[in-house]
Amino acid sequence: MIALVAQDTQTVALPGPPVVWSLLWPFLILAVGGVLLVTVTSVVPVLRGRSFPAAFTCLTALASGLSLIPVWQRVDRLDLVGGTIGSGTEGPRSLVSGAYAVDGFTVFVTGVICVSVFLTALLLDGYLRREGLDGPEWYVLMLMSASGGVLLASANDLIVSFLGLEILSIAAYVMAALHLRRAESQEAGFKYFVLGALASAFFLYGIALVYGATGSTTLQGIFAAGPNAAGLDPRTDSSLILAGMALLLVGFAFKVSAVPFHFWAPDVYQGAPSPVVAFMASGVKVAGFAGLARIFLYAFQPYWADWRPAIAALAVLSTIVGGLLALAQRNVKRMLAYSSINHAGFMLLAIHAAASPDDGGQRGAEALLFYLLAYTVMVTGTFGVATIVGGRGDGRHDLDDYRGLSRSNPLLAGVMAILLFSQAGVPFTSGFFAKFRVIGALASDGSYALGGAAMLAAVISAVLYLRIVVSMFLIDNGEAHEADHEAVDAVAGGRAAPEAEGDTLVEASPEASVLTSVRAPAPTALLAVCLAAAVTLVLGLLPDLGGGILSDAASALLLAG
Amino acid sequence: MAQYLPVLALLVLAGLFAGLSFVASKIFAPRNPTAEKLAPYECGITPGRDLPERFPVRFYLVAMLFVIFDIEIVFLYPWAVNYQELGLFGLVSVLIFSALVFESFVYLISKGALDWGPLQVSRRQDPMRSADRTTASTVRRVGQDGRTVTVLDAGVAAEEAGSGVAA
Amino acid sequence: MIPVALLAAESAAPAPFALLPSLIAVPVLTAVFIALLPANRGDFAKAAALVGSTITGAISLFVLAVFEKGDPGFQLVSQHSWVSSLGLSWILGVDGISLFLVVLTGILFPIAIVTTEAHHEPKPYYLWLMLLMAGSMGAFLALDLLLFFLFFEVVLVPMYFLIGGWGHGERVKAAMKFFLYTMAASALMLVGIVSLAVLVGRETGVPTFDVRVLAENSDVLSHTAALLIFLSFATAFAVKVPLFPLHTWLPDAHTEAPTAGSVILAGVMLKLGTYGFIRFGLYLLPEIAHELAWIFLTLGVVGIVYGAAVATMQKDLKRLVAYSSIAHLGFIVLGVFAMNAQGLTGAVLQMVNHGVSTGALFILVGWVYERRHTREIALLGGLQGVAPIMAAVFTVVMLSSIGLPGLNGFVGEFLILLGAFSSARWWAVVGVSGVILAALYLLWAYQRVFHGPVSGDNEKMSDLKLSEMFGIAPLIALIIAMGVYPKPILDRIEPSVDALVAHIGQRVDGFSEQEPEPVAPAGVDELIATAEASGHGGEAEAQEAEEGAE
Repeated sequence: MIALVAQDTQTVALPGPPVVWSLLWPFLILAVGGVLLVTVTSVVPVLRGRSFPAAFTCLTALASGLSLIPVWQRVDRLDLVGGTIGSGTEGPRSLVSGAYAVDGFTVFVTGVICVSVFLTALLLDGYLRREGLDGPEWYVLMLMSASGGVLLASANDLIVSFLGLEILSIAAYVMAALHLRRAESQEAGFKYFVLGALASAFFLYGIALVYGATGSTTLQGIFAAGPNAAGLDPRTDSSLILAGMALLLVGFAFKVSAVPFHFWAPDVYQGAPSPVVAFMASGVKVAGFAGLARIFLYAFQPYWADWRPAIAALAVLSTIVGGLLALAQRNVKRMLAYSSINHAGFMLLAIHAAASPDDGGQRGAEALLFYLLAYTVMVTGTFGVATIVGGRGDGRHDLDDYRGLSRSNPLLAGVMAILLFSQAGVPFTSGFFAKFRVIGALASDGSYALGGAAMLAAVISAVLYLRIVVSMFLIDNGEAHEADHEAVDAVAGGRAAPEAEGDTLVEASPEASVLTSVRAPAPTALLAVCLAAAVTLVLGLLPDLGGGILSDAASALLLAG
Repeated sequence: MAQYLPVLALLVLAGLFAGLSFVASKIFAPRNPTAEKLAPYECGITPGRDLPERFPVRFYLVAMLFVIFDIEIVFLYPWAVNYQELGLFGLVSVLIFSALVFESFVYLISKGALDWGPLQVSRRQDPMRSADRTTASTVRRVGQDGRTVTVLDAGVAAEEAGSGVAA
Repeated sequence: MIPVALLAAESAAPAPFALLPSLIAVPVLTAVFIALLPANRGDFAKAAALVGSTITGAISLFVLAVFEKGDPGFQLVSQHSWVSSLGLSWILGVDGISLFLVVLTGILFPIAIVTTEAHHEPKPYYLWLMLLMAGSMGAFLALDLLLFFLFFEVVLVPMYFLIGGWGHGERVKAAMKFFLYTMAASALMLVGIVSLAVLVGRETGVPTFDVRVLAENSDVLSHTAALLIFLSFATAFAVKVPLFPLHTWLPDAHTEAPTAGSVILAGVMLKLGTYGFIRFGLYLLPEIAHELAWIFLTLGVVGIVYGAAVATMQKDLKRLVAYSSIAHLGFIVLGVFAMNAQGLTGAVLQMVNHGVSTGALFILVGWVYERRHTREIALLGGLQGVAPIMAAVFTVVMLSSIGLPGLNGFVGEFLILLGAFSSARWWAVVGVSGVILAALYLLWAYQRVFHGPVSGDNEKMSDLKLSEMFGIAPLIALIIAMGVYPKPILDRIEPSVDALVAHIGQRVDGFSEQEPEPVAPAGVDELIATAEASGHGGEAEAQEAEEGAE
């Protein structure tokens, strides 16, 4: 993507549109930060230690996030939108030959991705120490993946979308398999790769068909070829564009793990290293939703009546199936995977509402953005707790492993309870307002039945959160399965490298099954989950925080079309 | 359709050339097989058993790295051909591209992908592997690997192994 | 359409300070304080919770003192914009309907805290109790529909932990059942709330969840929309009350909960359902409420008979009290859907009565359980001999629950039946049987537990301690005071109820004709006189039942 940017340097032979570098900073900081990190740690091996890469990644995410502020100020001029993404000096605009768009929406999504990177970097630090792994590769890949996510969200051209998608995904495949000593991790990475590649193939074929139908790969071009354009009969090639849209939708549905394209998610979430799952469930998914929203709400806006039922079907299936299948699980990471499928359904419902031609549109777009932010924080925090509880070897994810957490570490249990209740949509947490906004948007749109179905599915999925809470708070640690735990610990202890520092089993205590990782978690990981819980509560008490930002970003998403 | 005709012709020609070459070598080549010629090639040493099933994954790694870097060249070729037209813009693009390729090279070196012998990294991580092992010891061990099960007597094997290292 | 600002201006007598918010803030701050206590000072948690809840109770009494008697509207309104982009605002206010529920909450919590003990982990226990108090207060005070829903939902969490963490027997299962039942029922309510606000907002142009605005403008809804919205509300409230077919969570939750949990659950949280029916059913959508009243009357009456019949058969004393709650709440629903001044006044009063008397019953059952470690009626017996004070207290509370004239239960039940008789005669006729049945199961239980020879372990049972007597004394005092002189309470309830009935009459065609005698505020004395005069009849009934039982 660097090459892509460079295309527009002022040249002699191939004059391109001027690149407004200042608007590209958020993206460039992430991408260049990743490259820089790998270079520095390669040349100066001392820095390959554990603290530097984590600190560097956090700072990079922070810098990228801060660089969004001036960008926002320049871009957030809705009065200058004039119906399309313009090329003036202020307001939403496209850069680099119309390949890259910067508006309130992309700024918001970039911010959310930065949050995800920041929190995950904090989690990774403790995780790598505990597992006796090192190497900056994890962080480099995450920064790369994040930059791909930003690219996907900001793409103004299907080809660039594809580039972004691939950068986003390939890094994530590798991260899933990066715990070299765990076969589960390898398996997860492989599964993720195979199904992700399949999704990419769908996506690419969809681009080809859309190009065939409209003669353009830019979002503006596709939009202009739609029914709104003068002198063009939109329906001449309707089968082609419909097929193209369907394939693109399938590609995205794989990425965001919407039913029935969700089969990889539980396996991958279960096997992949927990902090990586935190990133996959937050950053990667957010980018996928951003790309989906951008392409469908802008380029395919003229065809909204065609694709909206498909989105609705995916959404309702996701909420219900995600909730129901979670009931049969005992592995917490697997349960959370199904819960993230359930959340994906809600976000799809927000997109469904956002496509509404009347006042549901704006509310739907706002709901989507709020949900993305709230969900990112919740899910990163939740998998953060799973990372901590997972213990050395990252294998303690059974429901029984959470037993008695409220005694062994009340803070951690409290944080987890807040995050889980938020995911269930209990009031005064961000999760409630996320769901509420979606329901509100659906009601504005008149889709009451969809709202009702989603709420019932939310109740079904509440069971899974309650089961974890029951394990943490309501079942005594010493009641049963004590022997099982000791056996598991012995295996886990034997499997891990003997000299790696960190956890040792607490022997001969009534809570023998509790690892020191739970009693004394890595401070950075604890900071990350506490931050997540705090943000969840703040967003639950002040969901208007930055309300102007939310509505402007949502307007930008819709006005782009 | 007509413009694809040369492609078709080339396809046919290529197929014919490959097929005819096989047939021709079958017909015209002199054939004089001996036991030595049929034996697998192993550094000129008489093989004492079947091919070793295991050898360091490093060989694969090097092969893969070669392929990757080789492919990068493919991207440079079109640029070089169109250097005049692309001008400064092309130059900058290619410099960035090359920098990234070089960057990955730096990373590979720092990871020890091109080191021969036990990895610095894995030596630290894996206490089961002796830190005393060096390049020389590893190669000698591999040389002896085929020797120990051989039908030849042990003295000759040791001698030959020694000369192998010296060579 | 009435602008929000105008409504705020209408409400008289601005609060001297943030009176109503402090009812929520004090328990929350207490909870925060408890959370910050060091882990080894858990013993301090109870004192903190007691102080916090007592302050809140005192504030609620102060609210009662400053409440303007003749004003039917919302008073002491505290209104702030909260999430303006969503139309959600922070509006609290009391009227005659919510006033006494707030006071009840303020009184019951300190009593529940002082009369019971947390047997382990006191810190989180009192923390959850304080959050529960804040949530309950908020739900009764909220005048913003969404704010109400927030509190209505959030009280599930502390109650879930209280039942699951400190309950008995199948506590985890009961807690799950309670949480999921209520959450499932209210899931659709959220859709209903949002739809209502959107549909009304479309007409008025102002998106708001302000109950007052919505109530004035809800006639713009189409019949189908109003019906569906009402049903979504009614499901949530019916589970909370609980009405007959949706009641199955209640016996488990009540029985397995710790004593304080049962007291609050029965005393305060069930009222959220009936209060919701009045405030968000009758007030918001009077047309549909009137149209569907027969369903709820029927369910209420079925609840009365069913609850009483099942209670009679119970072997577990606590379960018996739990089922009696179903019967009592059936009465309240009967009063609510009688939809006239007497019925509604009686329903509001009966909500308070039930909170006081059933709360006291649960405390007493809890004490019995603490001393005897069983609640099996068959294993108890002759307790009167070893614990005469407890028996006396139990008698008063039980008679109040039965509805003995002179005690509080009678006034409420009488008003309800009076109201129901004038507007829903046949339901009232069936409902009256509940009074007799109540006497049957409670007196029979009393007889089996307290009378007869003392046997086995019961001999060693100790009587009430002085601290326990002080703890329950306020409830006994209330039972008697409200029974003897309910006028001050009725004076405050009636204006609001009359306004509500007038609101319904305005909206429902032909409503006023079928109401035979609109009760003016001046009629209260008359009413009391009637009540007292017909008291003998009730007494006779009770005596009959007692005799029958013996």
